[in-house]
Amino acid sequence: MNEKPNKLKWHVLFIITIGLISAGIYSASQTINYKWQWHLVLPYIIDTSPIDIIAQGDANAAVNADGVITLTFDNGDPSRVISGADQVLISDGDLIFEGDLLARKEGIRSGVLIDGLYMTLKISVISLLFSIIIGLIAALMRISDNPFSKNLSVLYIEIIRGTPLLVQIFIVYFFLGTIFDLDRFTAGVVALSVFTGAYVAEILRSGIQSISAGQMEAARSLGMTYTKAMTYVILPQAFKRTLPPMAGQLINLIKDSSLVSVISITDLTKAGREVVSGSFATFEVWFTVAALYLVLTSTLSWGIQRIEKRLANNDR
Amino acid sequence: MTDKKKYEGNDMIVTVDVDKIYPNGCHALKKVTTNIQRGEVVVIIGPSGSGKSTYLRTLNQLETISSGEITVDGVKMYDDDTNINKLRENIGMVFQSFNLFPHLSVKENVMLAPLKVAGRSKDEVISEAEVLLTRVGLAEKMDIYPSQLSGGQQQRVAIARALAMKPDMMLFDEPTSALDPEMVGEVLDVMKSLAADGMTMVVVTHEMGFANEVADRVLFMEDGVLLVDDIPENIFGKVTNHVRLQKFLSNIR
Repeated sequence: MNEKPNKLKWHVLFIITIGLISAGIYSASQTINYKWQWHLVLPYIIDTSPIDIIAQGDANAAVNADGVITLTFDNGDPSRVISGADQVLISDGDLIFEGDLLARKEGIRSGVLIDGLYMTLKISVISLLFSIIIGLIAALMRISDNPFSKNLSVLYIEIIRGTPLLVQIFIVYFFLGTIFDLDRFTAGVVALSVFTGAYVAEILRSGIQSISAGQMEAARSLGMTYTKAMTYVILPQAFKRTLPPMAGQLINLIKDSSLVSVISITDLTKAGREVVSGSFATFEVWFTVAALYLVLTSTLSWGIQRIEKRLANNDR
Repeated sequence: MTDKKKYEGNDMIVTVDVDKIYPNGCHALKKVTTNIQRGEVVVIIGPSGSGKSTYLRTLNQLETISSGEITVDGVKMYDDDTNINKLRENIGMVFQSFNLFPHLSVKENVMLAPLKVAGRSKDEVISEAEVLLTRVGLAEKMDIYPSQLSGGQQQRVAIARALAMKPDMMLFDEPTSALDPEMVGEVLDVMKSLAADGMTMVVVTHEMGFANEVADRVLFMEDGVLLVDDIPENIFGKVTNHVRLQKFLSNIR
C-alpha cells in the first residue's frame, strides 16, 4: 500500500488553507485601512539606538585628543575615565553637573519586548519550580490518612481553584504584600506558584493513586519506610504517568504569567502594552507578543515530549 | 531495634489467637493459632475467601490484626518498640501479581532494597544481584525491563528481589496463580530449591502437587478458621477423616 501521494495531498491542502487564512487576515486589515509597519516593532526587539553616558556628579572634565574623558569630581570621589565613546558631547575643561549628557556609545541591546520576554521566562521558571514543590507537598498531604493534613490540603486546593487568578494576584500583592512587605516580583511568583501548585497537586494525586497498591506493598515488604517507598517506587512512576497533563498545566503557567502585568511587573504583556503606546503599531506588536509566548510554550512542550519519549523507551 | 541474630529458638513465626475484623464487619480470621519452625515449609490451602492470604499478609503486617499476638523471629510484632520496617527486612514476600517495579530494570529491581534500605555498598549489591539472578536462571535478562519478561520470568525476578535482603523467611502469596500453565513449573522449581536450602517458607497456593511434595506441614483454612494442621501425608493420603477438607480436595481435583 502506498500512502505517500495521498498524504502529500493533505499537506498541500493544509498549506493552502493557512495561506488563505493569512490572506484573509491581511485583506480584512486592508478594509479598515490599516497600514502594516513591521519595521516599527524591530527597535523594541533589538535596540540599536546609541547609549547615553551620563555624569553621576558635579565634576571638571578633561578630554584628550583620542576622545577619552576624565572626570574629576568635586566631592572627592575617585575620578572616572570614559573611553571608547563614539560621540563626545563635551569639550576639554567643561564644568559638568550631575545628570549631564557626556557622550554616546554605539551598541546593540535587547529591546523592551525581549526584556519583557526575559521577565516572563524568569517569573515562569521560578514559579514552575515552586509550584511543583507546593503541588507535591499538597498531593502527599491530600492522600495522607491524617485528617489534619488531608483537610488542610483539600481546603487549599478548593480555595485556589475556586477563585480567579487575577483576584489572587491582587490579594497577594495588596494584602500579603503590604503585611510582609513583598516586592512586586515576589508577590507575582507567590501568586503564580500557589495557584499552579493547587492544579499540580490534583494532577500528582491522581497520578499517585493510579499506581497499583501492589507497588506500595512490594516496597514496604522489602523493609522500605513509607517515605522511601514513595521516593524510589511510587513517585517516579507517578511523575512519568502525569507528564502529559503536567505539560499542559505548566504551559498554562507561562500563559497565566501575563496576568502579573496588572501589578506593574514588566513582563512580555506589559512590555507589549508599553510598546503599543510608544509605536502605535498595535496589530504588529500583539502578533509579535503572541509569537514570543508561542516560542516559550512550544519550547517547554517540546522539552517535555522529549523527556516523555526518553522515559517511554525504558518500559512499555 | 530488632537484632536478627539475637533469637536462636526454633519457632520462627508464632501466631496466637489472631483475629482480623475488617472495618466493614467482615470477620476474616478467627483465632488462628499456629507455630512455624525455623527451616519449615508450610503450605496453606483453602477455598477462596477462606482468609489464607489475609493470614499470610498479617505475618509481615501488610494487614494489621484486630486481636491476638504475632511473634516473628523472637520479636513481638505489636510491641511499641518494634520497628516493623526492620522486621520486614527479614521477611521476604512474593505476590500473586509479581509487583515488580516497572520503571527499574530487572537488576535495579533486585538492587533497590539492599541499596536504599540495607545501605550496602553498590559494588557488593551489584555482584549479589548477579548471583541471585543467575540462581533463578535470568542471568541474560538483567538489563531489560520487567514488561519485556514473561510472567514466569517476572515471578522469578520477584523471588530474587525478595532474596536480595537476605531474609530468614519467605512468604509466598499464590505465586503461580497469575501464570500461564506452562510457566508454573519454572517458578515452583525455584521455590523447591529454596526449600531444599532450608529456607523457612509459608506458601499460599493451589498447587497441591507442590504442597504434597515440598511441604513439611499443610494448613487448611475455611471461613477464617484454621481447620486442619497436619503433615501432607495425612492431608493428601487416601483417607482424610475431615469432611470439609475432603470436600475441598475433591472439588479441585
